[in-house]
Amino acid sequence: MNAIPICCFTRATPNAIIFHILQFLIELHLEVDSIKMDEEPERAKRWEGGYERTWEILKEDESGSLKATVEEILFQAKRKRVFESHGQVRLGMMRHLYVVIDTSRTMEDQDLKPNRLTSTLKLVEYFVEEYFDQNPISQVGIITTKNKRAEKLTDLAGNPKKHIDALKKAKDSTCGGEPSLYNSLSLAMQTLKHMPGHSSREVLIIFSSLTTCDPANIYELVKTLKALKIRVSVIGLSAEVRVCTVLTRETGGSYHVILDESHFRELLMFHVKPPPATSSSECSLIRMGFPQHTIASISDQDAKPSFSQAHLDSTSGGPGLSMGGYFCPQCQAKYTELPVECKVCGLTLVSAPHLARSFHHLFPLEAFQESPLLLHHTERFCEACQGELKDKSVFTCPSCNSVFCVECDLFIHDTLHCCPSCIHSRSAP
Amino acid sequence: MKLNIEGLLVYFPYDYIYPEQYSYMLELKRTLDAKGHGVLEMPSGTGKTISLLSLIVAYQREYPLEVTKLIYCSRTVPEIEKVVEELRKLMEFYSKETGEKNNILALALSSRKNLCVHPEVSSLRFGKEVDGKCHSLTASYIRAQRHSNPSLPSCRFYEEFDAMGKQVPLPAGVYNLDDLKDFGRRKGWCPYYLARYSILHANIIVYSYHYLLDPKIADLVSKELSKKSVVVFDEAHNIDNVCIDSMSVNITRRTLDRSQANVETLQNTILKIKETDAAKLKEEYRRLVEGLKEANVARETDIYMSNPVLPDEILQEAVPGSIRTAEHFVGFMKRFLEYLKARLRIHHVVQESAPQFLKDIFEKVCIDRKPLRFCAERLRSLLRTLEIADIADFSAITLISNFATLVSTYSKGFTIIIEPFEDRTPTIANPVLHFSCMDPSIAIKPVFERFQSVIITSGTLSPLDIYPRILDFRPVTVASFTMTLARTCLCPLVVGRGNDQVAMTSKFETREDFAVIRNYGNLLLEMSAIVPDGIVAFFTSYTYMENIVASWYEQGILENVQRNKLIFIETPDAAETSMALEKYQEACENGRGAILLSVARGKVSEGIDFVHHFGRAVIMFGVPYVYTQSRILKARLEYLRDQFQIRENDFLTFDAMRHAAQCVGRAIRGKTDYGLMIFADKRYARADKRGKLPRWIQEHLTDGSLNLTIDETVQLSKHFLRQMAHSIHDISNCNVQCFCQLNLSQEDQLGLSLLTLEQLQSEDMLQKIAQIAHQA
Repeated sequence: MNAIPICCFTRATPNAIIFHILQFLIELHLEVDSIKMDEEPERAKRWEGGYERTWEILKEDESGSLKATVEEILFQAKRKRVFESHGQVRLGMMRHLYVVIDTSRTMEDQDLKPNRLTSTLKLVEYFVEEYFDQNPISQVGIITTKNKRAEKLTDLAGNPKKHIDALKKAKDSTCGGEPSLYNSLSLAMQTLKHMPGHSSREVLIIFSSLTTCDPANIYELVKTLKALKIRVSVIGLSAEVRVCTVLTRETGGSYHVILDESHFRELLMFHVKPPPATSSSECSLIRMGFPQHTIASISDQDAKPSFSQAHLDSTSGGPGLSMGGYFCPQCQAKYTELPVECKVCGLTLVSAPHLARSFHHLFPLEAFQESPLLLHHTERFCEACQGELKDKSVFTCPSCNSVFCVECDLFIHDTLHCCPSCIHSRSAP
Repeated sequence: MKLNIEGLLVYFPYDYIYPEQYSYMLELKRTLDAKGHGVLEMPSGTGKTISLLSLIVAYQREYPLEVTKLIYCSRTVPEIEKVVEELRKLMEFYSKETGEKNNILALALSSRKNLCVHPEVSSLRFGKEVDGKCHSLTASYIRAQRHSNPSLPSCRFYEEFDAMGKQVPLPAGVYNLDDLKDFGRRKGWCPYYLARYSILHANIIVYSYHYLLDPKIADLVSKELSKKSVVVFDEAHNIDNVCIDSMSVNITRRTLDRSQANVETLQNTILKIKETDAAKLKEEYRRLVEGLKEANVARETDIYMSNPVLPDEILQEAVPGSIRTAEHFVGFMKRFLEYLKARLRIHHVVQESAPQFLKDIFEKVCIDRKPLRFCAERLRSLLRTLEIADIADFSAITLISNFATLVSTYSKGFTIIIEPFEDRTPTIANPVLHFSCMDPSIAIKPVFERFQSVIITSGTLSPLDIYPRILDFRPVTVASFTMTLARTCLCPLVVGRGNDQVAMTSKFETREDFAVIRNYGNLLLEMSAIVPDGIVAFFTSYTYMENIVASWYEQGILENVQRNKLIFIETPDAAETSMALEKYQEACENGRGAILLSVARGKVSEGIDFVHHFGRAVIMFGVPYVYTQSRILKARLEYLRDQFQIRENDFLTFDAMRHAAQCVGRAIRGKTDYGLMIFADKRYARADKRGKLPRWIQEHLTDGSLNLTIDETVQLSKHFLRQMAHSIHDISNCNVQCFCQLNLSQEDQLGLSLLTLEQLQSEDMLQKIAQIAHQA
């Protein structure tokens, strides 16, 4: 079924060919897997799709080996840190974000595998999970745009499950026509403009097409967005488009164009972290409820299973009746999941750990200093995992001078948000 | 910053400098030191203008006796204004740094249309009308008449200037066109005459090519400029065509008819004057006997278009007796006109040289060579004597007399071609007499001879050795500079085949081929899907574009393209084209995306810049060879071969490649810009074509980007566009205002393509700089 198209690459160096064969074999392996999974016959003919110069990023070292560059690439991939710390600034912790996904004709392009749409939806799914993990008191909504129209896939809500379900469903939808920036932005604006002033209003557009079909002058809309302090960021899948440049520059967002899938992921993850709040945004005290999870004891004779308020309007079924739950301290409405906004009295219900998790954005852990391994004579083992330091660089915590390996450095900064060695030394005496 | 360029202190008004600018100044300085001419090629957007200005101004200040004047010639009015603004920046920097007031006078000069402040005259729309109207108000004899009859209309600005302006020189400073107008309004002086008068003592003059190259204008405006001037021709890649156009004359039947009418008017006027004021004609006769030398001391306002480069020895001679009296001259002109009319009544193409023509005219109507030579001068004198105000009416007869003078003065370098009809419409008789100049060096020769340094510079002058040959001068420096880039922001690709492996070319034999047209269409379609915002596509000619677009329409390609982008087309009509351009830019601006189909050698390819999103890709369909069947071109090629030993093919390729380079160069207008350059013809891959592209494009044209298929092109372009978008935006947060609206961060370019003073002084950087200049 598969043939290696070596003949096409006669201009390539022998190393490039070897690399290509390797890559081919890996892909073949992957393909077998994926065919098993979702039976996509056209994917077997990958070489017909495009002429890719994967070898161009590779460089031979003096002895003609590729090993060094491959290692370098892997190392760099690990090291890349999109989370540049802002230092001590006010951040918009309560975020209201609309993700606009372009589902126009261009999303069928196969330069992301298997195609742009599937790849994007998968990444957005991951993004939504990560987003709620890092910003528990924020909300997200999803808009899709195609055929010159924009439609809401999900409303602004704080429940990741709903979004992920919708995204999974969207995979089967067809792509077609042109996207409309104007329509999607105005749809997002209609909801966002009613959000309270202390929260951050954001739109993230994943834009694959190079054109947009607008019913009116988009620059007028950009002015309105700017006045409403809605921040629009764009991730382009193909190339830099002027209107997006202006849009993001005016509204204070960021504009990036992806290089490949892993870069796409990085760029998406960049938006997980809350943006710095604009100095003009309101400061206000917010009423919040911290309900406790209570379960009516079996011994209680009066206890009856009851519906959660959140399930009243959902048609998805699920466990409608339950014995326990979170009860709103103000009106006693019952919910099974937090965080949520009370349907009855509008109080924001969160749990204390949620707030605490959002807290680390304000005091980010300082970046560790990178230094070559050769300079380190004292420590040969990583402070955290106790493994031997083998990579060519090590990382030193600036406050306690402990040494870490790359993996632990990443884990500490991305997940733990505090230096284990510092905590250890603090609690010891 | 202050630079030390081989011992010369140069003030440079920016904090950073590109290495190639430094190198450029170095070469320029050497040229000035040697008091010779130079040919310098540097890509657009690298700050050519400011380098030129700052070095030459520094030179002027350092050696005021060596270089007294800078004459900066540019092509269009906006370009002239841009140069003056740069100059203003430089002067401000000077006065800030040195703390003293500058005494340099710099000004721009343009036509009356752009400078007139007279309320009625300036409201006229066409340049010719403004000139004619102005002339009817300010000519010397009109003003003389006014002494006797004060009711005649006058221009108060001119009168005021004439009375007061000449005693007080224009105060030092930098004057753009608008500044001159303001100054004129404030003082009540005519800005045009003020500027024309002031160029004699100005230190820097910025004006159009024509003031120096067109003999009719140069004679009036630039004749008295000092020998110790430095002349700069910017954007000079077309300078040979400008020279040729300024010397060529086309005569149609309409011209002859109008001349006929002119002659009759002249005759009547002579008769009238004879009755009233015979002494006047006698006086003229006396003057003509004495020779033209004194007659030539004309009043500045009497600009009868006249006198294409008359050699000095002729001016010293007296006008021959046969045309000395007015009636005889009119009779002479009549005979000449009749002869021309007879020549135009032909049914086949005639081509002959100037001596052949003179022999024929002598045999047929007994007109000698000598009186013909004086024709232009004699007519000028007559018109002055007869006090005819509106010169615009007499343009036809002036043209004929110019032709007479030229044809009898030059035996070499010109050819006469009489065509009974146009090639496209062989059934409609429309005889034209082309008196075409084949040697650009004739027009530019006085410039090279008179001025001590002439600098020819542009973004595209490759191959450099051909300009000195066709303009017939010996330069002391010939250099090409490349662009040092922090990132590779241009991506030239040569597409040679379609996906079906059929060769793509606009070669004459295959240009009608269905497969070629389809492949060109596919290329456009594919590119329209991956290139954001604007694409500019160039065809080799209007007819070729029409054919291709028609057949794309039939094949449904246009419909598919329109799904991605809107399509706009350049037409020969200027108004239509500017409308299309406007809409094109609007479509690029608001994200719809657009394609502009235009023609190499057209208006778009020469004067319009497509910065940033207005031109993310340029596609050049075919090699823009000039129409080789034209007789004028054939004659010129023959002449080039015989006189300059330039082979026909060499010249044609050179000409085609400089236009191709001009076209693709439209997309890159600076270091922060980026764009694809797609050459869609397999012939570009050949060494003889490729070698004639400018060095800064050639550098990026690797073997890997030659002879690609459409698919490969798409893949490479996608990669390029993503990379470019990436590098801009990772650093887009910086808001440092630096060089030329730079929005790349300085740190990225610093040390690489942007230098501070300290970096410039380091040893290895100087070595690097030495390599930038490529001595041809």
